[in-house]
Amino acid sequence: MKILCMVKIVPDVDKFKYDFDTNTVVRENVRMILNPDDASSVGVALKIKHLYPGTTVEVVSMAPESVRPLIYDLVRVGVDRVNLITDKLFSGSDSYATSKVLAKYVQTLSYDIILTGTHAIDGDTSHVPAQLGELLDMSQMSNVIHIDEELLDTTKAVFTVDFDSEVATYEMQLPGILSLRKESGYKLPYIKYEDMNKDVTDSIHVITNNDLGFEPFEIGLKGSKTKVNKTFVKEYEKRDKVVVTNDDQGINTVYAFLQEKGFI
Amino acid sequence: MLSKDQIIQKLMEMLGQEQINTNPDDLYDASADRYKKYAKARKVLDVPTPVAIVYPKSAEEVSELLKFCNENLINVIPRGGKTATEGGLENWKDLTIVIDALYMDKILKIDPYNSQATVQAGVALQDLEDELRKIGYTTGHSPQSKPVAKYGGLLATRSIGQFSTLYGGIEDMVVGLECVFPDGHISRIKNVSRRAGGPDIRHIAIGNEGTLCYITEVTIKIFKFYPENNKFYGYLINDVETGIKVLREVMVNGFRPSVARTYSEEDAAQHFYHFHDNKCVLLFMAEGPKGIVEATGKAIEEATEKFKDGIIKQVDSQLISDWFDNLNWSQQDIDDEYEGMIENDAHAGYTTEISADWETIPKIYNNVIERVRNEFPRAHELTMLGGHSSHSYLNGTNMYFVYNYEINCAPEDELLIYHHPIQKIIVEETLRMGGSMCHHHGIGKYRNEWAEQEHGSAFYMLEKLKESFDPKGIMNYGTIFPQKEAIQKYIYRG
Amino acid sequence: MKKSMIYLDKENNKNSIDLLEVIRQIYGEEGSETYGVAINHQCLEAIGYVDNLIQITDDKIFDKDGMVITDILEELQQKYNFDCILIPATNFGRMLAPRLAMRLHVGLVADVTAIHLKDELLEMVRPAFSGKIMAGIVKQGKGPTMMSVRENVFSYDPILPKETQKITYVPKHLRKSQLKLIDKREKVQSYDIRDSEVLISGGGGTIKNFEKLEALASQLNGQVSASRKIIDKGIATRSIQVGQSGRTVNPKLYIALGINGAIQHVEGLKNVEHIISVNTNKNAPICSLSDLVVEGDAFEFIDKLLAKIKNNDFRR
Repeated sequence: MKILCMVKIVPDVDKFKYDFDTNTVVRENVRMILNPDDASSVGVALKIKHLYPGTTVEVVSMAPESVRPLIYDLVRVGVDRVNLITDKLFSGSDSYATSKVLAKYVQTLSYDIILTGTHAIDGDTSHVPAQLGELLDMSQMSNVIHIDEELLDTTKAVFTVDFDSEVATYEMQLPGILSLRKESGYKLPYIKYEDMNKDVTDSIHVITNNDLGFEPFEIGLKGSKTKVNKTFVKEYEKRDKVVVTNDDQGINTVYAFLQEKGFI
Repeated sequence: MLSKDQIIQKLMEMLGQEQINTNPDDLYDASADRYKKYAKARKVLDVPTPVAIVYPKSAEEVSELLKFCNENLINVIPRGGKTATEGGLENWKDLTIVIDALYMDKILKIDPYNSQATVQAGVALQDLEDELRKIGYTTGHSPQSKPVAKYGGLLATRSIGQFSTLYGGIEDMVVGLECVFPDGHISRIKNVSRRAGGPDIRHIAIGNEGTLCYITEVTIKIFKFYPENNKFYGYLINDVETGIKVLREVMVNGFRPSVARTYSEEDAAQHFYHFHDNKCVLLFMAEGPKGIVEATGKAIEEATEKFKDGIIKQVDSQLISDWFDNLNWSQQDIDDEYEGMIENDAHAGYTTEISADWETIPKIYNNVIERVRNEFPRAHELTMLGGHSSHSYLNGTNMYFVYNYEINCAPEDELLIYHHPIQKIIVEETLRMGGSMCHHHGIGKYRNEWAEQEHGSAFYMLEKLKESFDPKGIMNYGTIFPQKEAIQKYIYRG
Repeated sequence: MKKSMIYLDKENNKNSIDLLEVIRQIYGEEGSETYGVAINHQCLEAIGYVDNLIQITDDKIFDKDGMVITDILEELQQKYNFDCILIPATNFGRMLAPRLAMRLHVGLVADVTAIHLKDELLEMVRPAFSGKIMAGIVKQGKGPTMMSVRENVFSYDPILPKETQKITYVPKHLRKSQLKLIDKREKVQSYDIRDSEVLISGGGGTIKNFEKLEALASQLNGQVSASRKIIDKGIATRSIQVGQSGRTVNPKLYIALGINGAIQHVEGLKNVEHIISVNTNKNAPICSLSDLVVEGDAFEFIDKLLAKIKNNDFRR
């Protein structure tokens, strides 16, 4: 079986700090990490590889060159090959342009199933997996929380989806796209101590626009159908501690607080 | 060489059934101490389990056991409260028995007139302390492990407590002791106020970390207790250097607060997050008879006045007093951390504690913090890095580095990836600047690759002691005296 | 006259209809002719709200298959040429919208929470970076404006009911679905304290009568949790222990009753929105993290608060 995993490298959003004085979010010195939902997709792919020897797992990512260290780590935990699509011309692409780039490359590959994450912690649009499905003319499902490894083969996949208030099990004919959630619990294995500095450069394949042949107007900012006009920060109030006692006034204060915040 | 079964057979001939433990869970637990706590919780320890844990009831039984082990080249691990943190209790040999002081738990004599108390090695410090409090006395010894630690280990590791600045370390409190050597010889050092009868042989036992002998009984000094006079002082200060300067001022002027501490910001956050406002903290406790406490309090006030440029403000003494009441570990704290490590990829952190003179300590502190932040490859995963000084002397103080981190690796790799590189930087900086890499936790196994550097030309004296008392090397293999192959295998994993 | 289309989600009729508010904010009260599209449901709730209700019903349509629905909506777009297409940002909506946008070669703004209109420039506002930053997005290029809109943000109050024209539409082409539903079940209520929005937590100050906390938890639709002291006493199990060695929780409301606030405990509260502490010591460390501090006995507090809530409920 051949599994293709689409991954995105994102800033570690949890480490953003809110500065009350300037009303800004400090994004400097925040590390780049593998998007958590995408890590689950690679995690389940590696689990399947472990169960079915002969399975290959390839990763595709559109990113700047600087993500190499993270990419190397994917090979070190068992990914067979990482295809890094990188070119200055792609920078500034919105999800529409990104999907076109990814689809053009993926069309040149052979695979049985594509696994992705459901949403990215930076953009959080969840557009790319569905748009990839549209361009590759195949089915796509988000919010996958479990894949039935036993029933999986090159023709079909059986999986469970967390669908708002209910949980549903589907069967999808392959090739198709399954988009995982980190709540699925599938995780990337840890790199073994002895593999931490392993040289894996041979397993990285770099693709630039020379290979894909897009016109400049089709990609980057020009090729995007949406543009960020501005960003701003929600205002947070600093907590001002209020101290009361168990008397009527105190209890009323607590009651009012609970009511105001919608708990009563 | 005897087989495991043969060893157990022989043990059954020497001891009663209730004195031998071969329960697999207990043996697994006995193969490592709090150093490899995370790997132990996740059941991925890489060290061998001992053959049995035995519980002798007297020095004579200990003597028989040691003779037997000596004759048959069986490794011996002496054990008390199990609170070791540096690998002193970790097992590096296939044929090992753990000799646990569990049944030697009697308080033999409390003698307030002569200010002495005699206990067997298996007496828990808290138990003796509770008895002494009933008569208005205290041991004066209060390590954080007090509720759990036992006297044998407290002596063997040259332990120190929170009030040491007034009462001293264990070495200042020991009067006499009894210990057993690998050849079976029982030595009893009598209780006298002082003597000059050759070198002070008590110090062969005190601090030996189970590498030379097995301690079976101890007599320690006891002190009158004046809790009603306790005075607390707390301050927010600019930096660690200011704190060290104030500590020094109080000490060299001739005063002995029972507690004198200064904390860096991140370490302070663990204890004082509710008022430290992200600053460093300086605190004191004065204890003893009324006049002494008043004079000590005055000296503290004068010292802080002298360095007031570095002091931001004084905090409510009640806050310090409250904090103090909640400081010690209990067995429950240890158990809770253990359960937590099974469920979460996290633990409560590690420490490496060192000592040096007044001038050198702030330099070591700053060098270490800088090096760790810049050189440690996983510095971005640190959740805490800091330190505090908590034991002061006329001529210097200690620095207790604390650190914790997100654990993003397999449990068996955690020490090599996180703890060890940090500890290495701390030890290197300390030794380079002439300090001691082991103020009070002992060398154990995890600092012995630097033991020769620590002692320099004086290491010869330790080596000769080992040669004389334990020529066959059966006492706690791997502790203090470095064993290169074992270090490679159990620390560096190949 | 502009034409706007709203995809009426079968399981979220009211939320879908509320999207009319978005259309009003963009085009004004009478600026757009509105179309609601209901696939495999009648959506009678939309009558009186939308100008046109397009109903498409066919057993063969698997309405959870994004490919199939995209085909149908593309046909409608070819017929009606909508200027604006809105899809509620349900889990299905978030798969459908991007597919349709790509099919129509237009941009899509996901999870819109606000509309800013300035000099004819339409800016669609949405959360980014896990909600830490808001982004205002504008469309580039030709074609309909497409948005998926967050539920429960917009609310539509019609001034006058509309005369809704019902249109039955039969799709020209239905593709065979690659998907098959095998089974589906309601989500089981989670009793994991990590999932709870409200936690009533007890510490050493509640040892005497820990069970009392349950009453307050029920009243506020929350769950009971505890600090280590309670677990140490054997009064509760580790599964409800909050803290570094227990569970990290992120409720919107955390009421700490008789909890001192050792660092190991508060490490588990890093993501809590509102904390109320009740403690006989108003300087207990946890109070420094709280919005509201009640200095007093925890049990007295529970009794009095429950009484007040019951009293107010009765009067309503």
